[in-house]
This record gives sequence, C-alpha cells and structure tokens, in this order.
Amino acid sequence: MNRKTWLSVIWVMLLAAFLIACGGGAPEPDDVSETETTVEEEPVEEAEVVEEEEAAVEDVSAEADVSDIDQVRVAIVMPSTITDLAWSQAIYDALLRLQEEAGGEEVFEIAFSESMFNVTDAAAAIRDYAEEGYDVVIAHGTQYGTSMFEVAPDFPDTTFAWGTAVDTGEDQGLENVFAYEARAEEGGYVAGILASNLSESGVIGVVGPVEAGDAKLYIDGFVAGAMAANPEAQVNVSYTGSFGDTALAAEAANTHIQAGADILTGSAQQVVGAIGVANEQGIPWIGTQSDQSSLAPDIVISTQLYVWDGVMSDIINKHLAGENGGTAYALTLANGGLVMEFSDTLDADAVTAAQEAADQIVAGSLDVMAVIAGEAPMEESEESMAEEEMADFPEIEPVRVALVLPSTTTDLAWSQSIYDSLVEIQEHYGEDVVEIAFSESMFNVTDAAAAIRDYADSGYDLVIAHGAQYGTSLFELAPDFPETSFAWGTTTNTGEEEGVTNVFAYEPRAEQGGYVSGVLAANLTEVGIIGLVGPVDAGDAKLHVDGFLAGVKDTDADVQVNVSFTGSFGDTALAAEAANTHLQAGADILTGSSQQVVGAIGIAQENNIPWLGIQADQSPAGQDVVIATVLYDWTDTLLEMIVSNQAGDYGGRVLQLTLENGGQTMVYDDSLPADAVEAAMAAEQGIIDGTIEIVAEPRN
Amino acid sequence: MQPGRLDRRFIEQLINLLMPFLAVLIAFLIGAVILLLQGVNPLEAYQAMIVGAFGSKNGLADTLVKAIPLMLVGLGIAIAFRGGVINIGAEGQLIVGALVTTFLGVQLGEQLPGFLGIALGLVGGGAMGAIWGSIPGFLKARLGVNEILSTIMMNQIAIQIGFYLLRGPMIDPAEVEAGTNIPHSARLPRTVDMPRFTDMAQSLGITNSAEEAGLSGYLGELYAVLVEPSRLHSGLIFAVLMAVLVYIFLWRTTIGYRIRAVGLNTAASRYAGMQVERTVVLSMTLSGMFAGLAGAVEILGLHHRMFEPTAVSAGYGFSGIVAALFGKLHPLGIIPASILFGGLLVGGDKMQRATQIPQVLILAILGLVVLLVITTDYFVRRRANRRVSVDAEAAESLPDDAHTPSPEASA
Amino acid sequence: MNEDLTTLAIILGIIHSGIRLATPYIYAAVGETFSQRSGVLNLGVDGIMLMGAFFGFYTVFETGSPVLGLLAAAAVGALMGLILCVVSITFQAEQGISGIGLYMFGLGMSSLLFKTLIGSVEGVQGFPILRFCMGGFCLADLPIVGELFFEYNIMTYGAYALVPLSWYLLNRTTWGLKVRAVGQNPEAADSVGVNVNRVRYAAVTIGGTLAGIAGASLSISLLNIFQENMTNGLGFIAVALVYFGSWRPVGVLLGALLFSTVNALQLWVQVLGLNIPSDVAVMMPYLLTIIALALPFRRALQPRALTKPFARGEN
Repeated sequence: MNRKTWLSVIWVMLLAAFLIACGGGAPEPDDVSETETTVEEEPVEEAEVVEEEEAAVEDVSAEADVSDIDQVRVAIVMPSTITDLAWSQAIYDALLRLQEEAGGEEVFEIAFSESMFNVTDAAAAIRDYAEEGYDVVIAHGTQYGTSMFEVAPDFPDTTFAWGTAVDTGEDQGLENVFAYEARAEEGGYVAGILASNLSESGVIGVVGPVEAGDAKLYIDGFVAGAMAANPEAQVNVSYTGSFGDTALAAEAANTHIQAGADILTGSAQQVVGAIGVANEQGIPWIGTQSDQSSLAPDIVISTQLYVWDGVMSDIINKHLAGENGGTAYALTLANGGLVMEFSDTLDADAVTAAQEAADQIVAGSLDVMAVIAGEAPMEESEESMAEEEMADFPEIEPVRVALVLPSTTTDLAWSQSIYDSLVEIQEHYGEDVVEIAFSESMFNVTDAAAAIRDYADSGYDLVIAHGAQYGTSLFELAPDFPETSFAWGTTTNTGEEEGVTNVFAYEPRAEQGGYVSGVLAANLTEVGIIGLVGPVDAGDAKLHVDGFLAGVKDTDADVQVNVSFTGSFGDTALAAEAANTHLQAGADILTGSSQQVVGAIGIAQENNIPWLGIQADQSPAGQDVVIATVLYDWTDTLLEMIVSNQAGDYGGRVLQLTLENGGQTMVYDDSLPADAVEAAMAAEQGIIDGTIEIVAEPRN
Repeated sequence: MQPGRLDRRFIEQLINLLMPFLAVLIAFLIGAVILLLQGVNPLEAYQAMIVGAFGSKNGLADTLVKAIPLMLVGLGIAIAFRGGVINIGAEGQLIVGALVTTFLGVQLGEQLPGFLGIALGLVGGGAMGAIWGSIPGFLKARLGVNEILSTIMMNQIAIQIGFYLLRGPMIDPAEVEAGTNIPHSARLPRTVDMPRFTDMAQSLGITNSAEEAGLSGYLGELYAVLVEPSRLHSGLIFAVLMAVLVYIFLWRTTIGYRIRAVGLNTAASRYAGMQVERTVVLSMTLSGMFAGLAGAVEILGLHHRMFEPTAVSAGYGFSGIVAALFGKLHPLGIIPASILFGGLLVGGDKMQRATQIPQVLILAILGLVVLLVITTDYFVRRRANRRVSVDAEAAESLPDDAHTPSPEASA
Repeated sequence: MNEDLTTLAIILGIIHSGIRLATPYIYAAVGETFSQRSGVLNLGVDGIMLMGAFFGFYTVFETGSPVLGLLAAAAVGALMGLILCVVSITFQAEQGISGIGLYMFGLGMSSLLFKTLIGSVEGVQGFPILRFCMGGFCLADLPIVGELFFEYNIMTYGAYALVPLSWYLLNRTTWGLKVRAVGQNPEAADSVGVNVNRVRYAAVTIGGTLAGIAGASLSISLLNIFQENMTNGLGFIAVALVYFGSWRPVGVLLGALLFSTVNALQLWVQVLGLNIPSDVAVMMPYLLTIIALALPFRRALQPRALTKPFARGEN
C-alpha cells in the first residue's frame, strides 16, 4: 500500500539533505572554513600597544552623575566573573553603584555575561545584547575588540564600549564605539614605592598573570616604583601564564616567600590563590583592580582601586544625549579613576612617601611611563617553575597557525607538548592575534596530507605537521603554497635539495634531556636498578633512551638500566605491565616516553615509585611521583617560525630544541635531594658548554 | 501487466537504493543533537562535510585518494567473505605488501625503466600480501585454526616486523646520518612513482586549467580533479580495473564459482566433491593479495616511502570491511561504496577543521552512520523477500545473483 | 644483569604479571563467549570497553567510589550491548560490520566525553590491592604462594571467579542450554518454544556488561587513569581469544593466561637485557597464540549459527 507516502517522505528527506549540501550556494570549499571563529586580522595590534598611544584620551572626572537618567539598559560581557575580586568585579561594582544612584533596576537595567573566555561566545553575546535593544553594550576585554567592531556597524543606535583599549574605530568609520583603559602603571608605581619602604628583607614578590595589558602596566610601574625607592631592592616577578590559574598563583606566592619576599602583590583574578598563601603565612599583600580585603582583611595593606563610575556614567550620559561613541577614556590617579587606599596600620613614613609619589603623578611632574622606559630592565625571578619559564615574546602581526598531530592534545607527551606551547603563545598575544587550529589523531597519513593542504588552502600562515611520517606529503604540497610556512619534525630535512624553500624542520635533541634524567636517576637510585618503558625503539624515543643510558653510565657504571619497549605508542595497558615488571625486577626509579606511559605512571603512582617524565608535564597522571620532567618548550621554536614567516622568510631552517636554547627545560621537584639536583644541573651545564659529549652505545 | 511490473521493480530498486541515504540522514539527525550540545550549528557542520568531500576539486581528490585503498582492501575482503572466511587481517597484509614494494622500489627502482619498476613493485607487494594471507588460510584449512584469531594476531606481527625493518635494515640512511633515527625508509626513486592524474593529463597534452578551459562551477571542479595538480594518482584506475577483474573472476570462472559455492554452503560443496580446504586457502590468498596490492599502491602512488606501519595501514583493514559490506560484497558495488564511505571519512575530517569540534565526535557520528546503514538493510531485505515470494518465477529466471545479492551470501 | 634476581623470582614475577594482565582479557573474552555461544559475533568489544573504562573512571573521579564506578561501567556496557542487540538481532544486520560500527561509536563517544567532562589525563584512587591481612599477618607475605595468589585487587579475583560461574551458567542451567541451542540450531530451538531472539538479547547484553567491566578493570583497577583509546585494540584480542578457547570459558581463560603470560615473559626478556630486538619480543605473544592453537590436540567447535541472524519462518 503506502508506497506513495513512503516515496514522498523519502523525497522530502532527500531534498532536505540536498539543501544541506547546497546551503551555501556555490560549492566553494574556502567559504566553509570561514566560520565565525575566523578572525579578520584587523585592529588588534593597536590594543596591544595601548600604552604608547596617549593622544586622544579624554580625561573625565571620576564623579558620576546619573541624575538625568530616565531609562537606560546596559549590558556587559566579561572575561571572568563578577566576583573575581579583580578586573570584572571592579567594573560591575561601579555599574551597581550607578544603578543605585539612578534609582534602581527600573531605571537602570544591567545585564551581564560572565566567564566569556571564549571570544566566539562573547561575540554572540555582544550581538544578542545589541539586538535585544540594550543602549550600551560593554565588551570588557581587549580580546573582544575585533568581534565588537564587526557587530557595531549593524547597530548604529547602540553604544559600544571596550577596554583596555584606545581605539574607538574611527579610522574604520565607526561612530558608536567608546574605548577605555586603566593607567595601572601609576598606581603600580605608588604601590612599588610603598612596598620598598615597608620591606625589611628587600625582596618583593610579584605574581603576574600574563605579561600583557593592564597587568603588565601595573607590574612595570610597580617594579619602577620599588626600584626608585630602593635601588637595592630585589623584585621577583613571575607570570603564571594564565588569568585564572589560582593553584599556580598560590604556588608562585609560595615560591616568592621561600625566596625571601616579605611583601607580595599581583594582578588578575588568579591572585585569590596567592592571597590565600599570603594570609596563611602572614605576608602583607598589595592589591589592584578590586578591593581584595574581603578575602584577607589583615594582610591586604594597600589597594589600587579601579573606579569606573565616572567613565561609565559619562558614556551613558553621552549615549542619552545622542553621542554614541568616539571617545577614549583613561582611568588615572589625576581624574580619580584610580584610587590608592592604604591601611591605617601602616608605617606613616612609608605611606607619606607613597602619597608624595601619587601627588607628583597627579601634578604631572612624574611620568611613570618615562621612568619605566628609562629604567634598566626589571629583574625576573630566577626561581624556575614549569610554567614560569616565559619566552621572550617579540612583536608579531596576527598569525594563523595550524597543527596536524599524530596523537591527541591531551596525550601528556609529544602532541600535547607543542599544543601547550602554542596555547601559551596565544594566551600571551590574545586570540585575535594568534589563531590556532588543529587536527588530532592523524594516524592516517593520507588524512594528514589532506589536512595540511586544507589548512594551507584556507590561508593559514604556518602549518605544522607534527610527525616525521608527514614529511613526504608535506614536500609535495609545500611548493603549491609558496607564501605559507610549513614545518615538520622530528627531522633535519627542510627539502632544500628538492628545491622546497618554505619548510622548517625541527628536532628535539631528546638525548640531552635523556642524559640529564639519566644523571639524576643514577644519583637517586638506591638499589642501582632503573626501569625504562619505551614505545618503539626509534626516533625521538630512541634518542631519549640513548641519552638516558649514557647519562646513567657516565654517572655510575654499576647502575643497571632495564629497557623494555611495548612496540606501540598507545598501548597503555602493556606499558603499565612493563612498569610492573620493572618493579619486580627491582627498579626503584622509572622513566619512559610517548603517550602510552600514562599507564606506567599510574603504576608508579600506585607503588609510590619516582617517575622521570619527558615531553609534557605528566604530573596530572601521577602528581605525587613525577619528580622531574624534561619539558619540551616549543614556544621559542614556534615564535621563531612565526617571526621568520612574517619577515617573508618562509622556511629553510632547521630548529633544534636543546637545553641551551631553552627548547628543553628541566623541571625538578622540591622534594629531591639537593646533591642529585646539583649533579643533574651540572650535567645540564656540561651539555650546554659542550664539555659533555653524549655517546650512544649500540643497542639492539 | 508487463510494463506495470517493470515500473514497480524500478521503484522497488529505487527505494532500496535510497534506504542507506535515509539511514545516513537519521544518523546525521542524531549527530546534529550532539553537535548542538557542543555548541556547533549542525547545518553548517554538515554542509562543510558534504561540500568538503564532494563539492570541490581538492575535496573530490581527497575522497578518491582515500577510496583507492578502501576499494582494493574491500575487494580482498569480498573475495574472502564470498568464500566463507572472514579476513580481519587486511591491516597486516597491507603492511607486509607495502614493505616488500618499498624494498623492491628502493633496491631496484633505479636500474629498471619506470613502468617495469612500478609493475615489479605491484607484483611484489601483491605477492607478499598473498603469502601473508595464505598463512591463516592454510592454518584454517589444515589445522583448524580460526581465521579471525590468526588474522588479528598476524596484524600485530606484521606491525612489529615493520618496525623492526624500518628502524634497522630498511631505515633511510639519511636518518641515521642526521641522528634523528625516524623509522622510515628512503624515498623511492621518482621513476617508480605511479603517475598522478595531472601527469597523465599532461602527457596527453591537456594542460589547460579549468579556468582556461572555460569551465566553471561544479563541472570546472570535476575537470580540475582530472587535470589540475592534486594527489589523485593512477591507482584509482588500477583499483577500478581490479574490481572489474574480480567481478569477472567470481562470476565468470569456475574457480570463482567454487569460491562462492563454498562460501554459500560448505557442506554441500564438499558433498559435491569440491576441495573445500584448497578453496579456503585460495580465497584467503587472493584476499591477502588485494590487501598487499593496496599497500603497494599506497607506496607507489601516494607515500613514496614506507614509514610507521600503522600510519600506512591506517585502519584500512577495518574501514575496508565496511566499504566491502556497504558494497554488498559485490566487486562492482564496492567501487561506489568505497567512494561514498571514503567521502564520509574525508568529509568528517573537513567538518572537524571547519568547526573545530573534536575529531572524535565525528568518529562517533560515523559509527552511528555505519550502525544505521546496516540496520536499514533489514528493510531492503524484507522487501526483497516479499518480492521473491510474490514473483518467484521472475526471480528464478534471473541469470545470476549479481543484481539481487541474497542475504545469505553476505553472511 | 642483577644478581639478586633468582630464576625463581623471575618465574614468579612472570606468572604474577600474567595473572594480573589477563584480567581485562578474561572479562571481555568471557563476555564475548556468551555472545558468540548464542550465535552473535560482537566485534565492538573494544568500543564497549572504552565506554566502560570512561564511565567507570568518571564516576570514581566524581564520587571517589570505585564500587559505583564499577556499576556505572557495567551499566553502560549493558547499554552498548543492547544497542548491538537491536542492530544485530532485531534488524539482523551483518554482524561483522555492526561490531565495527559500535567500535567506532564507542571510541569516538568515550573520547568526546573525556574531552568535554575531564579534559586532561588525571589519576584516581581505584580499587586497592588486597593483601588479606588479619592481625598483622598478611597472606600476601607468604613466600611464593603470597606473591602468586594474594596480591591482586578485587577485580582480578572477580575475573577468575567469573570463569567457573560462566561455565556453570552455560553448561548446567536451563538458560545456558537455551543459549547453546540458539547458537547451534535456532530453528530447532524455536520449534520447541524457545524465544530465540530473547535469549540472544540476554546473552549479548551480558557480554556487553562484561566488556564494560573489562574496561573498568583497566581504568579504575589496573591503571587508575583514563586516556583516549586506552584499550589500544585489546578488545579485538579478546575476541580472538574466544576462538582460542573454542567458546568455552575455561578455554578462554587458558588463552588469556597464555597470551598475557607470554606478554609478561617478553617484557622480562627485555628487562633482563637478553639480546633480542624489542620488536621481536613484542611479537612473541601473538606468534605463540597462533602456534598454540595450531597444535593438533583440539578442534574448534564453532556455534553453527554464529553470525547468522534468526527470523522466524525464514531459511
């Protein structure tokens, strides 16, 4: 019976499928990859160099005047939460104060989206708010600029505001964007003076997030102030590389205290971790952005408050008066946008010195930026924490980088190490400067080749094929995209012989880190037996084993290293059993490489056997037992390729990751005995100096 | 009545053909829910997938490049299934084939004229795959070792042999010299590269790009696949040729008939005096040969050197099974099935890149597609059975089962 | 070479490793035995294991309770088994391919959930190793016997307890008889009133449950971590072991023990620094399993209706 019904249903569905297929009209594949995440490379760098452009910045009184408001709807998009005790809370609190003054929710409506760390989500939120008819839409983060500039022209009657920024988009013909910034270096300078005067040890610790934006301004100012008050002062600055990593911030605070700091400061929402540590240890804390004393009333001795009330009310009033944009604001000490608060209990002389500096800045007789520019570069902390090893970040143009990975971004090994480094670079420059795309688990080389081509085709500047097996396909494709840089490794072959000019080759000299691990292991082992869980005896893993064996042998020829290979890169179960076998054979230290080792680390954790890691930080899989790591830090390598690409030099070089160039860094756990670490560090130095030559013994 | 029946048969066939598409659609609908949960617009994602796989020169080239090994492996799988043995060992057979091809190419490629070198590589790879496939066949026929067990185990053995050779005897001397020790062979001499489509077009004197030829739109893309530079190589022609040969072999020769008979009913074949054991060995050998040929073609046409065994076999041993069964174990059905399934895999990848959703989400959706496509098979078969009972005479008068593969044959 | 290691210690070590390593294989392969005995080939064991491994791990990660984790793994395993039932039994789909579909789905889904819910590799506290202590004295401290029998966690003991249980279920209960009957001759079973598909549903679901538990035995008992595709094809080996064991739980146990003991042996061969290339060592368990089955003392008795769907009134 119902054949006709059947048929028509199928036809409708087919039609639907056809519509999906042809939804975009002409079959142009390039359109497809251009989703909303794709960033138009436009006005971003201006936000980055905000501190240098002071021209058209309007001074506005911090006094708010919202008496004339009949009805206004304000929406704000924030990168963190309204209770972050920092950047987001400062502005939200200001809006709440304005609301109260204006007469409550009926008159002054506030909508907010917090934790918008995903810029794409933020863009959607900005557009939605504008569509819903909000009068003022605030994008409270530099990273939102690009998306906001895209949205703003569609809503000429809506006022947009963003910061930290000075760009109101006038060059692009925009008339409805305000920009705002906080001259955090001013308060930072004052706080630095205060800290130096209060510090008895002369050591001050700074817990920074990412070396950018207002955090960088604050810290630069702080260091300048501290040095001005006491040229002997030692200001240890560490960056956690993230805005929200409270655990690492706490760890950074601990490290500073161990290094002798008796005053701490820091910026961004991550500092709640550091404040907790300061509170625990009774170390005074100087805050910035928001009032943090609720967290630790006894130790927060001073705060640089961001008072956004004036800026916000001015923007709103201008909007109501029909002026939708065009002004750039700055919070300064002079206009009351920045307010220094000091605790009553403080030493009067110190406060006076700080207050004097503040007065000079207000009077204009002291230009903090000039001091910073004239000062010697600040001293960075020498204490090495894994994430703290910050590369030197050069100025770069917006860049799109694509990774093709043989395994996953969470493999705790080869693939994760380069991905993490790339993300670190992105966090530094922001998502609108560094765009990342990646394809994981590309064990099929044919698929990888397609991925490489597609990335190059859709305009990525740098396409990295993170596996030696991708080389052949890479060389086939590279000539078709002469202005795209390609990179692959582990290899030393840039294809120059074949006339390819736009391919970088990279190779981690795994035997170096392996050697240092070997020295460390030989010093640590008590029974004289070490177990090594390898994947396949080739490539990077082979180099690691060779180096490790040489390191052990050069340290103590009697120590025995049992080496086993699982014959695969992903067989976690067999790696676990290999670790078990090593333990039964008496090993009291384990090491190994590639993603399979998470199984072995699990066993090490269970039996409380120390583990020496390589490639990525493997402590998540065994936080108690990973005692040292040869961390592959690709940051410099990646940056070198990016910079070279932007200079029009698309390839042709071999980049090594060595101990000397920081491509490999040794991370030692605090619990390790000092002499073992010293021996390992001596080995590091020896390799860097060239006094140690790593000789691989032939093996099977 | 006669035209009416024809008409009906045509509609029946059409519905049968459309069933798998319906299944794909349902799988996509479920996938759409997952995509929505991940915050991705499913329409955009699927558009990226379909356009990515079939809508442009590069997408088509990727799909066809992927279809080549699927087709060759699928042919082997089909022969084995038709002969009543299940070959899960294509992965290993492909690897050993690729190894031998690489060895021959590197050692002898320079001395021989190009076409001879390629032929030698193909013969060597196919022969090695055949040997590797014959072992489980022999073990089953003579010693009663189940072929599923032995082929799964032999896959691992092949992988390890590959690693052993590639990090020792067959390693690229340049790797040892550079100290990087990557386990891959030297590049095969260019003389034994199987020509790409663009090379062939050039030697035929067709050098116009699509634009120059005045072709635009989809026609232009199609033209570009054949003429403009892409990775698409003559392995496709080889694979299609092989499919036709296998069809002739299975349906037009006595040995082929025997293989199918043993697969359909072992006991009856034995009763009829066929040497069942020999046939089992033969079907496994042929099955291995095609997997080995797939390895050879991948090396000669695409990779031009051997590297990590699992990166060369790349799951074709399993996706080849899917392609073969989608193609109803019919050599000619395997051609479109490989292209469609290859397109699905390639499109999935493109969709991942277009939306930056995790790769694994696409794998999950593909799993659903496979499950649902074979589920709809049920309805196709039910219709077929009903039809058979209705026009039994007509069914009997069909020359062979080429166009109506019976469900039993695929078991 | 370490002189302290006596030959005895090494042999004990190999057996100890072998017994422990066999755990996931036993769960998965015994589960597959139920499935195949009823006439359904499930090639998706690896995918089910991954789902079980993930849900077991995630439950422990969130609640800290390994028992809950085990239950979650079993439940999700049963669910995956049911999916296969619908496809392979109700809709009579080609079984070789439905398993591969299920495998792809399980691999993709478990990794996706891992990425969305956890994000990075973390460790958890799974089932502890039991040492059977009573008042300061531990059975595990007994010489030889202690190491051989009393130093595993509960899931390893569970695997070995499963074997006689399964044997009993299959060979000494009416239900077991039905399972064997529908795998051997569904038409005959049907003619005496057995609901063929219902029995198959039960058997395959049990197989799925055990595969889920097999996954959990990795993620919350042996390794205490989860990583994408952590089984690395272990489920396919488990399927092969069913053939090795000729569809008998005891045979499957022997196969699993042989395979994992040889695996332990090859690890020792490497650890002791014997002069054998690692690849050759890794090959040993696979090679020996084939050879062992080629020995002419036993013939496989494949369930006659294996991979053949059943529909009343057809065939």
